[in-house]
Amino acid sequence: MTKWMTKDILSIHKALVEKEVTPSELVEECIERIGKDQCNSFEATRFDEARKEAKKITEIGEDEVLKGIPYLAKDNYSTKGTETSASSKILTGYVPTFDATVVKKLKRAGMIQVAHTTMDELAMGGTGTTGRKGDTTNPYDKERIVGGSSCGSAAALAQGIAPMALGSDTGDSVRKPASLAGLVGYKATWGRISRFGLFPFAPSLDAVGFFTRDVLSAAYVLTALSGHDKNDMSSSYRKKEKYEKYVLEGKRLKRVGYFKAVMDSIKDPIIKDAYSKLLEELRKKGYEVLPYDYPIELLDALYPTYMIISCAEAGSNDANLDGVRFGPAATNNPKTYKEYMIDCRSKGFSDLIKRRFVIGSFSLLAENQPEMFNRAQKARRLIVDAMNRFFDSFDYLIVPSAYSIPKKIKDLSTAWSTHPDYLDNILTLGNFGGYPSVTVPLTFDQGMPIGVNVTGRIFEDGYVLSMGKEIEDITGLKNLVAGKENK
Amino acid sequence: MIKVTKDVINQCAENLLFELAPGQADLIYEEFNTVLAQIDFLKGIEGVDEAEPMTFPYKEHQKLLREDIPSKPLSAEEELSNSNTRLGNQIKLPKVVGNKNDEMDD
Amino acid sequence: MEFEPVIGIEIHVEFKTKSKMFSSAPVTFGASPNSETVPFDLAMPGCMPVVNKEAVVYGIRVCEAMHMKIARTLYFDRKNYFYPDLPKGFQITQQFDPIGRDGYIEIQIDHKPVRIRVNNAHLEEDTAKQIHLADISLLNFNRAGTPLIEIVSEPDMHSGEEAMKYVEAIREIVTYLGVSDGKMENGSLRCDINVSLREKGSTKLGTKTECKNLNTIQNIRAAVDYEVKRQSEILLSGGKVEQETRRYDEAEKKTVLMRKKTNAIDYKYFREPNIVPIDLDEGFIYDAIHSMNKLPNAYREDLTKLGLDDYEIEELLKDRDFVTYYEDCITLGVKNPTTLWNFLMVDILGYLNKNSLSLKDLKFTKENLASLVNLLSDGKINSKQAKEVLSVMLEKGSDPLSVVKEKGMEQISDTGAIETLVEGVLADNAPTIADWQRGKDHALGYLVGQVMKRSKGKANPSLAKELILKKIGPCGAKKGQ
Repeated sequence: MTKWMTKDILSIHKALVEKEVTPSELVEECIERIGKDQCNSFEATRFDEARKEAKKITEIGEDEVLKGIPYLAKDNYSTKGTETSASSKILTGYVPTFDATVVKKLKRAGMIQVAHTTMDELAMGGTGTTGRKGDTTNPYDKERIVGGSSCGSAAALAQGIAPMALGSDTGDSVRKPASLAGLVGYKATWGRISRFGLFPFAPSLDAVGFFTRDVLSAAYVLTALSGHDKNDMSSSYRKKEKYEKYVLEGKRLKRVGYFKAVMDSIKDPIIKDAYSKLLEELRKKGYEVLPYDYPIELLDALYPTYMIISCAEAGSNDANLDGVRFGPAATNNPKTYKEYMIDCRSKGFSDLIKRRFVIGSFSLLAENQPEMFNRAQKARRLIVDAMNRFFDSFDYLIVPSAYSIPKKIKDLSTAWSTHPDYLDNILTLGNFGGYPSVTVPLTFDQGMPIGVNVTGRIFEDGYVLSMGKEIEDITGLKNLVAGKENK
Repeated sequence: MIKVTKDVINQCAENLLFELAPGQADLIYEEFNTVLAQIDFLKGIEGVDEAEPMTFPYKEHQKLLREDIPSKPLSAEEELSNSNTRLGNQIKLPKVVGNKNDEMDD
Repeated sequence: MEFEPVIGIEIHVEFKTKSKMFSSAPVTFGASPNSETVPFDLAMPGCMPVVNKEAVVYGIRVCEAMHMKIARTLYFDRKNYFYPDLPKGFQITQQFDPIGRDGYIEIQIDHKPVRIRVNNAHLEEDTAKQIHLADISLLNFNRAGTPLIEIVSEPDMHSGEEAMKYVEAIREIVTYLGVSDGKMENGSLRCDINVSLREKGSTKLGTKTECKNLNTIQNIRAAVDYEVKRQSEILLSGGKVEQETRRYDEAEKKTVLMRKKTNAIDYKYFREPNIVPIDLDEGFIYDAIHSMNKLPNAYREDLTKLGLDDYEIEELLKDRDFVTYYEDCITLGVKNPTTLWNFLMVDILGYLNKNSLSLKDLKFTKENLASLVNLLSDGKINSKQAKEVLSVMLEKGSDPLSVVKEKGMEQISDTGAIETLVEGVLADNAPTIADWQRGKDHALGYLVGQVMKRSKGKANPSLAKELILKKIGPCGAKKGQ
């Protein structure tokens, strides 16, 4: 088998331009690798369409970096003609009549979508084990999780099946699995990329994200995806940029902050050591690297704030899933519309989703809202205000993206966390404030990759990616593929 | 705050139009202990009561609205292609008794 | 015990924009089911709302017409509930920050102005249409997402008449602004009326009932009057009014119970996170207001100044096309507004009705009509001739001046010429003059008629009359002699 799918986008692009390989050959390689998936990474495939699209591409210009290159999409990106179910039984058989804006933009850029990847059901989960097709596993250790909710995209890229996969990030759903799978995981500024056609989980937190195996590839993808969309009022009118220029020209800001509380509470010595060394290397390179006292009670507030806001919004967003206009019909011979919808929704959602909806719904009841939903929204304000104060003195926040190697599937619990550790929720900061945020590989711990995360001010996506590149250069960790000698 | 009981939990599920599997209401009831403790924790954060609830991640207002120009609609065939409860070019449900006003306030 | 009714009204008005409130699908009526939708209207996953600018402009105009404070920033909220006609499982509305607040409208009760305060007006979207058959219901999403404005009054009304006039006034406003058909019978204007009674002099509100299904303006008065009577009978017999929703039964002419209000649904309102706040800058609001159509009350004021009476004014206002046509003619320099009214509302309206035509089908211009009115006012032609000219204009669209010329109708208004004619007639009709002097007043008409006859209808009759009178003195001058 050829090995193009394990390479980065720019390398593949150069090979395409020099006609070392054709888009059709790339698509065939991708399809073949999908067939050998070891981790339950895929939902629907669109091989025939991909082959057709590849065949149509004859010329590739030097500036058409994405053209002719296969990619994968998380199963919550509306794709015309391809079953898109968000890995939920309630959407089994749903074939959208329209493309999500990002799908459209990638198509316009000449990228070829080959398959949809598994995810936690309706993106509500962080383990990659709650989708309708069961557990998606970590290519580095199949007894362990790869993280979620964009589990299939992470597992597929870590197996070298494609050079890019779309994910979506509401809490850390791209950046956490990227960390656990040795990938670059990028979440753009809220509003930088249109969400039209992305099945919503919690729109005030949702962001389009994607996985690549190096930072420069991510920058090219962001350039293709960013910009205002008339179908998404929350998409920004701010000028689009050539994000790859930041990376290629090394355009970076200088002030790096880390949270003292985070540093102090890292227990895993390998991660702590790698993180400390990274900060030291940055210092050596001339960055001002300083600790910051972000309030601990706000770190402790991350989990409940995130859970309440996201569950409340989710229950409302998913109220359209009733089996009436799409999705499997009722089979209980219903006598009333309610019986019809109850049958569809009872069978369509997993127990976990229902539990989350009940709690979210309870927090929105008029009598409870001031104490629950509104209070979480107020806590969010404090969290973001404190973060913006941090950004008054710093350009970047750098934290590890994970604080231990991923759990074994048999040790998982889906219960509401009784004693949440803020380290596990630190990446939600990026969603609360809508900040651009990238995870890149940091180190290996017991053979499992661990990532580090860079977050910056809103709309400073280019600077954030460029810092990601700096770290990539320091660690030398890029284009990682499981099973390959990576170090 | 409404006191959380299993009845309240079941009522919430009923209003969300799904049934809970056996044992799930108990599980939610237990989870609520955690949730409510965490809510109490949020309540104790300094300045939380005075903070303005936040919906949007940052303050950036929109000025442009959509021009009132209709787009080409989809055909009924295309638009209903995903419905598994059709009758011709409409969607069919068991008879909705009376009308909405029987149940809803506007 | 004497009771005072307290009435508050919520009105939903469908806007007739070209596209929907939050989607670009066309707003249509009577199209084939589900043929006029885009994926948003069926709440396909991943669709997002995008606010229609024209609906916001319409909203601003309605608020301005009701003297409201207009929001400088628009926010939208979700109202969550499940129903087959609500595809998203929530309606996007403005629960917390409506586009308009604290306004009023003025109605006339016994020729006196009465102010009804309006609490708020908010933008939202309509639901899908359901058709109920024997044992199934069918859903048609063409209507889903049509822009609505909901106008919520304060409980300021105290009679069926006030309630009726309030709704009528709002109907007039929205139709004059051109934002809605305002048709109650087809649901483009729908109202819910809250009625309660309280002891006269008391400020404590009684238990209210809500009344729905009011398809005509007249039914509003009937329903309120019925409800007031029903509630006072209950109270007078020592009973308690139940909080409930009632429906007006047109055939029975009474309100009937739909349901008791027990535990109301909790709509779990929260801010719509997909619509970021929208700043309405001053220029935008200014443009929306300053391009607004003239409102009925402004017409009333101006038409009164022209000397029209209430009946004439209300007849004109029944159709905005007529009042604008009328006003345009006035602007062109019509000298006698009443004459213009008569031509427009009697002759022209009659002709249009008879031939099932509308104003825009008229073959002549407003300038033509104005000059016809002025020919008559100036005494160039008489009213009989004017009608003849008008009928030619209606048939052929001709310019009245040329019709007058062609038909040789120009009146003789030259005093000398008429005087000669008058002298001739008087000389030939001594017995008639004698009758006049004995008090037979019809004699004058005869004499004028003779002058007209000799002039072949061209003499100015009022001038002729004046000259005759000058010569024959007052009627009955020689009575009893």
